[in-house]
Amino acid sequence: MPKSRILRLAAAALGLLVIVGAVMAAGAAGLAWTNTEGFCIGCHEMRDNVYAEFKGTIHDTNRSGVRAVCSDCHVPREPIPMLKRKVAATFELWGHLTGKIDTKEKFEKHRYELAKNVWTTMIRNDSHECRNCHKSESMSSELQSEKARARHAKAKAEGLTCIQCHFGIAHKEPDGPGPRELKIVK
Amino acid sequence: MRVTISLLALCAAAIAPLAHAQQVDTSAAEALMKKSGCLKCHSVSAKKEGPPFKETAAKYKGKADAEKALVTHLTTNPKIKVDGKEELHDALKTKNPADVLNVARYILSR
Repeated sequence: MPKSRILRLAAAALGLLVIVGAVMAAGAAGLAWTNTEGFCIGCHEMRDNVYAEFKGTIHDTNRSGVRAVCSDCHVPREPIPMLKRKVAATFELWGHLTGKIDTKEKFEKHRYELAKNVWTTMIRNDSHECRNCHKSESMSSELQSEKARARHAKAKAEGLTCIQCHFGIAHKEPDGPGPRELKIVK
Repeated sequence: MRVTISLLALCAAAIAPLAHAQQVDTSAAEALMKKSGCLKCHSVSAKKEGPPFKETAAKYKGKADAEKALVTHLTTNPKIKVDGKEELHDALKTKNPADVLNVARYILSR
C-alpha cells in the first residue's frame, strides 16, 4: 500500500476519532446540564410547584450544607438507567408543550398521579436514589434516636423501602393512599 | 324582628365551622409540624406509624373538647403505643400556646 494512502487513512481515522470524541463530550456535557437545578426549574411547572415546596426542606437547607437537587432524587447516576430516565423525560416534554400542568389547578389535579409515579419507581428500585447518599450499611444506629432505631428495624423486618415511610418530605403530600397502601409489585 | 334574629342565629350557626377553619394558618402549622418532626410518623391522609390527621379529625368530629384534648396531646408527651410498644409522644417544638392551638386546629380541619 502506498505511503500516501496509509497517511490518508490514518488522518481519516484520527478525524473520525476526534468527531466521535467531540460528540460524546458534547453529549455528556448536555446530559450533565440537564441534571442541574437551573435546568429543572427552567419550566414554571417545576419552579412554581414542586421546587417552591422543596425550598426550606431538610434536603434544601440544613446544618451541614449538604444539599440534594432535583436530579439527585429523580435521576439515576448509572449511565444506562440515567439514559433510560432521560428518554422517559423527553415524553414529559410533550406534557409541557401541551400545557398538561401549566396552571396551579391543573397541577393539583395531577398531583396524586405524579406522586404515585415517583413512589412506584422508588418502591420498585428499592429507593435507589435515596441510597445514593443514605447508605444503610453506613448508618450508625447508636447515633439514631430510640424511635428511629425501632422504626428502621421494623422496616427492615417488613421489607419496606425508604419511600414507604419517608414520603411527602420534599414536596407536599397528595391526598390519597400513600406508598404503603399502594399494591405495587416490586 | 324575631324572624330577623332567628335568621341571624341560623347564619351564625351555619358559618361557625367555616370560621373555625378560617382561623387556621396552614403554612405556619405545616412549618411547625415539619420542625417538630410530626411528619415522620403522621401524614395527612396516608398510613404511617401514627394515625393520619384525617383519621384524628374524624375521631374528634363534633366533640366540644377536641381542641383541648389535642393541645394536651401535643404538649405533654403522653404515652402512646406503637406496634404494641409504649413510647412517649413528642411535643411540638414551641412554647407559644397560640402556635400549638393553630396546629390542633389544622389537624381538626383536615
